[in-house]
Amino acid sequence: MKRPGSATFVLAALAVIPLVLDDYYVHLLIMAGIFFLPVAGMNLLLAGGQLTLGHTAFFGIGAYTSGLLALHWGVSPLYGMVVAAALSALVGYLLGKVTLRLRGAYFVLVTIGFAEVIRLIATNWIDLTQGPLGLPGVPPFDLGLASFTLKSKRQYYYLILVLSTLAYALCARLLRSRFGRALVAVRQNESLAESVGVSAYRVTLVAMVVACALAGIGGSYYGHYTMFLSPEVFSFYNTVTMVVMVVGGGQATVAGPAVGALVFTFLPELLRMAVFYRMLLYGVILLLAVMFMPRGIVDALQRLRRRPSVPAPETTAPTLDVLVVGKASSVRGDTALRVQNVTVRFGGLTAVDEVTFALARSEILALIGPNGAGKTTVFNVVTGFLTPTAGRVLEDGGVDLTRLPPHEVCRQGLVRMFQKASVFPERTAIENVTIAGYRLGRAGFWAMVFDTPATRREEAELAMRARALLAFTGLANRAHEVAGNLSYGEQRLLALAIALAPGPSVLLLDEPAAGLNPAETQRMMALVQEIRRQGVSVLLVEHDMRMVMGVSDRIIVLNHGRKIAEGRPGDIQRDPEVIRAYLGSGETDARV
Amino acid sequence: MLAELVQHVVNGLIIGGGYALMGIGLTLIFGIMRVVNFAHGEFYMLGAFLLFSLFGTLGINFFVASFVAIAAVGVAGAVVERVILRPLRGQAMEIPMLATVALSVILQNAAILAWDPSPKTIRHPFSPIPIVLGPIHVVAIRIFAGVAAVALIIGSHLFIQRTRLGKAMRATFQDGEMARLVGVDVDRVYMATFSFGAALAGASGVLLGSVFWVYPAMGDQAAMKSFAVVIMGGLGDFLGAIAGGLLLGVAESLGAAYISSGYKDAIGFIVIILLLLFRPAGLFGRRDRLR
Repeated sequence: MKRPGSATFVLAALAVIPLVLDDYYVHLLIMAGIFFLPVAGMNLLLAGGQLTLGHTAFFGIGAYTSGLLALHWGVSPLYGMVVAAALSALVGYLLGKVTLRLRGAYFVLVTIGFAEVIRLIATNWIDLTQGPLGLPGVPPFDLGLASFTLKSKRQYYYLILVLSTLAYALCARLLRSRFGRALVAVRQNESLAESVGVSAYRVTLVAMVVACALAGIGGSYYGHYTMFLSPEVFSFYNTVTMVVMVVGGGQATVAGPAVGALVFTFLPELLRMAVFYRMLLYGVILLLAVMFMPRGIVDALQRLRRRPSVPAPETTAPTLDVLVVGKASSVRGDTALRVQNVTVRFGGLTAVDEVTFALARSEILALIGPNGAGKTTVFNVVTGFLTPTAGRVLEDGGVDLTRLPPHEVCRQGLVRMFQKASVFPERTAIENVTIAGYRLGRAGFWAMVFDTPATRREEAELAMRARALLAFTGLANRAHEVAGNLSYGEQRLLALAIALAPGPSVLLLDEPAAGLNPAETQRMMALVQEIRRQGVSVLLVEHDMRMVMGVSDRIIVLNHGRKIAEGRPGDIQRDPEVIRAYLGSGETDARV
Repeated sequence: MLAELVQHVVNGLIIGGGYALMGIGLTLIFGIMRVVNFAHGEFYMLGAFLLFSLFGTLGINFFVASFVAIAAVGVAGAVVERVILRPLRGQAMEIPMLATVALSVILQNAAILAWDPSPKTIRHPFSPIPIVLGPIHVVAIRIFAGVAAVALIIGSHLFIQRTRLGKAMRATFQDGEMARLVGVDVDRVYMATFSFGAALAGASGVLLGSVFWVYPAMGDQAAMKSFAVVIMGGLGDFLGAIAGGLLLGVAESLGAAYISSGYKDAIGFIVIILLLLFRPAGLFGRRDRLR
């Protein structure tokens, strides 16, 4: 997005600017830098789709931790800041553990509540905090020794510039890494993300911990800079300021929080001349900004600039030599998957009734039946999206999948393609497939932060594999198109490439041919056969009988949740009970 | 001892009625429009201030003034929906939410300009001498506030269940797309919902504003309370909001009396965090994995 040249230029400008400004503006720049830290953290979490409005709590915890340590025990603010970051991260971890299972508005409101509770503790725990009076005399920041105490505004400015540059680099690396892609995946399509092996809970929890540590550092610096602590740091006004910075700047973009922090620190100050009307005007400007630039300043600026030239379509796409990765190379038995006596009841309705079947290694097994027969429910059970009322699902090595969440099921080599066109709509085709290769990455958190050579190699391999998969599904020339703009048929092919990206040993296809024209269906059939030829077992739910009869080795027929037939395509076509289920009979009609 | 307990419960229920009204408004707006209304507290404040001006300054009859204040807040809600929220429909959740945050900044600061920041009281026409009901004492205005809150809650319930508009609202709540297909004017439903929700917050402000103080920032705490109420009751759950409101009122009243008055305002959220610890799947376990 940004050339390295422009980053260097911005940094150089930020380094020179305080030399020509008076203290008042330097002060504002320091405040922008301090607020940038928590805001960058919020942005990271928001990239994963979770908006926290309790971030002042962590900012305040940081401020009080290192402030109190310095005030009462003479701990150097430098070490106090480390403790503050650690404590904020710990509290954030605990809060996240409890709340990140919540989604959307619930999470937002619970985090507000958390900040409110912390504010009331700071107000009422008089012995520790002197309550609403606040704690004056917090020592100024030093670099570990009293002789390195910061004295002038400029010194404070340069230190916060270093801190926020580091935070910026950290967030930029994370957002552009496999971890960042996983966050985006969770935000855009959580079910799909889970199905390719991303634990929404885990990645957002990591984001939360980083976000809270950053807020703790910002708060700590704030306390030593202002040399005063009061429960006011927890006020909802501060939360509003932070959320305005992150959303107004441009959420989920790398530069957004920095731009937001600068603009929305200076804006209220510029409005000072309006005296009484200052806050009213601030609200009005905010409202107009939300209404006319809902995706933030950075996004609006990018729209103004002409669109970056799209890379030319690839002429020589790499070919894929291994579709299956990992487990399939250590094939143990002849059976890929066993479904044993699975029953699913929704209230009084039995959707699936004692269904048992096995999927052989490298087999294409079709699951057919009239609408409402329970086929998709079986899929949801197998892939962990639904826990059965009774029964078990076993993988070839005997691993019990019955109670595993979807992302764990993916780690066992089972990946599904959803019934509806299921892609990450705002990302390009190539990004979609790269995101879905998440499971194959090995780089840990710090390896991603420091962008180690091993991480780069891995990223290059993942990118290569994504290109190969697009070529395999015939989408190589659409690689840089945004997924939401692809035709329906192309989106289905992309969904297939996404499902293949984690390198499954068992692929579950839910009506892959639904809505496709005959030519596209033919292509899908050829792909499914090629996938099987490479050693992947396929479980197929399909209504298109040409496809079912054309590709399946065996067919299982479900009706009213019960298995009524199992056999080769030719036998199934002649089975009287199957014909009755599909066409209906006088008998069943009478009962209905 | 017991009399004291009963006294606290009764006080809690009266305030809880106000919380329930706030909560119903917020929960309807969220359930139908998927908007978390951060200006809810400001509608509450607006209701109280309009009553203060109409009754206290202009001298209009207290009951008439209350009614006009509530209706005016409803109209303000309709305007906000049409001008601010409708153009933002279809955006990610945080966008309309942020717009209501901005609105709350605007309204609160406008109130500071219109009616200075000092707290005011509404000199309601009820006698200040407490009425003795067996072991407990309640002032008349509180009884009025409690009875009026109950009447409004029942009225809202009937409105949602019985009227055509209420039915359209419930249909939109269940499935907006489907409702549109069968001919529900969804735009009208949204406007009515936001207007109605705002009016309920305004009503709560009228009632609790008569009992307590009236000041521009009074909505902040009220909004916090209604957030707690709707999380406890379940976002979008009408009966849950009533139960949550009454429960929070009583819990606060008892907590302030027997535990600590300083932490009174935290009780709702402490309860929520404890609930989350024991029900990690979410408060009501309704979240299914397939969305």
